[in-house]
Amino acid sequence: MELATRNSRFAFYPGCLVLQRMPEYETSTRAVLRALGVELEIVQQAACCGSPIVESFSANWVYLAAYNLALVERMGHSTVVTVCGGCTNTLTRAAHALQDSEVLAEANRRLEPLGLSVTGQVEVKHLVRLLAEREEEVRAQIVRPLSLRVALTNPCQVFRPGDVMGYDDPMEPQSLRRLVELTGAQVVEYGGENECCGATLYLAEPDLALAAGRRKLEATQGADLLLHGCGNCQLLLRRFQRMIIRDERGLRKSALLLPQLVGLAMGLPPETLGVNGRLARDVLGSG
Amino acid sequence: MSTLQKEVEGCLHCGSCVEVCPVEKVGGHAIVTFLADPDATDYSVWLCTSCWRCQEVCPVGVDIHGLMMKQRRAVNLQAPAGYQAAFESVLACGLALEVPQEELDQVRAAWELEPTKLPPPGLARTLLRGGA
Repeated sequence: MELATRNSRFAFYPGCLVLQRMPEYETSTRAVLRALGVELEIVQQAACCGSPIVESFSANWVYLAAYNLALVERMGHSTVVTVCGGCTNTLTRAAHALQDSEVLAEANRRLEPLGLSVTGQVEVKHLVRLLAEREEEVRAQIVRPLSLRVALTNPCQVFRPGDVMGYDDPMEPQSLRRLVELTGAQVVEYGGENECCGATLYLAEPDLALAAGRRKLEATQGADLLLHGCGNCQLLLRRFQRMIIRDERGLRKSALLLPQLVGLAMGLPPETLGVNGRLARDVLGSG
Repeated sequence: MSTLQKEVEGCLHCGSCVEVCPVEKVGGHAIVTFLADPDATDYSVWLCTSCWRCQEVCPVGVDIHGLMMKQRRAVNLQAPAGYQAAFESVLACGLALEVPQEELDQVRAAWELEPTKLPPPGLARTLLRGGA
């Protein structure tokens, strides 16, 4: 009954990485949310969120972020769902910046020729938060409880800076861990749960990014699976894993995104989650 | 005194930021190296993952991320190729990675995802105009 009273349709902002390189994150997010009665409507013509790339070059990054928020407002939505930490952080910081009347006026001056306007009254909500708020609904949908050991990395920018993001404990967030535990999986402690994956370093010094990834892979040897709530973590630790470990097969580790793991435990078909059959059997077979 | 030193006048140089920096843990030196030791020169403002841990633990609330971004924007700092390429892509097509509409359409159709239009060309240039 509670579901019926909830706004079950939200705008969805995938961000550059997921839009262009990681469709499995979008498709698994949609599959899990659909099972919970939540539909997502993608933000058409969305641009880069604005940070850290644009903010590194232009103090006007906030107006690019404001453009994305304006698109959400034009759709008639008051909440936009995100799946990466960076976009969540940037769009939230922009919404905060737009509370300043001068910034807001300037944003609208720049958006007006595009036929857009912004108020900054959009709530930016990362998938972890959206699912954590529906903990009981998620629990009710778990039909294939898992029993594997999972090493998670909390998506940094979803929780920090704490005074702006205003959600969970900024240094030791618990919501992702609780969601993983709902699936039956055991979350192993390895000391790096709250340590950044290092993916953004790849833009500046690829070797350091790979070193950061290696540090994590070495520390998580006691786990069966890595679990991520951000496309950047998944990019570095799964897509770039071969570059990290080279021919050291002992360091190899499977990695899933949060909705892929939750979706498997919900009994959703692996192909709708973008999980290959063998990995799905490994994950489910352990249950 | 450098501009950066003036900006961080409240900083206690306590090194709390260095303790939590993921870059320092793999032997790199980000802006926190400078905050812990203002005489340090062996650091780069580009070596930061934007994880915001340093700012969270700073006992005096220095806006470390903001300072660093300001430093990155300082005209005399050469951006690493990866950042430069990503920014140029944003200027050209609005996204950090360039992808043709046709390719995006094909990928989304293959994954049975709703079609999505790319942002209008020149958008970022218009919105970011003026100011360094």
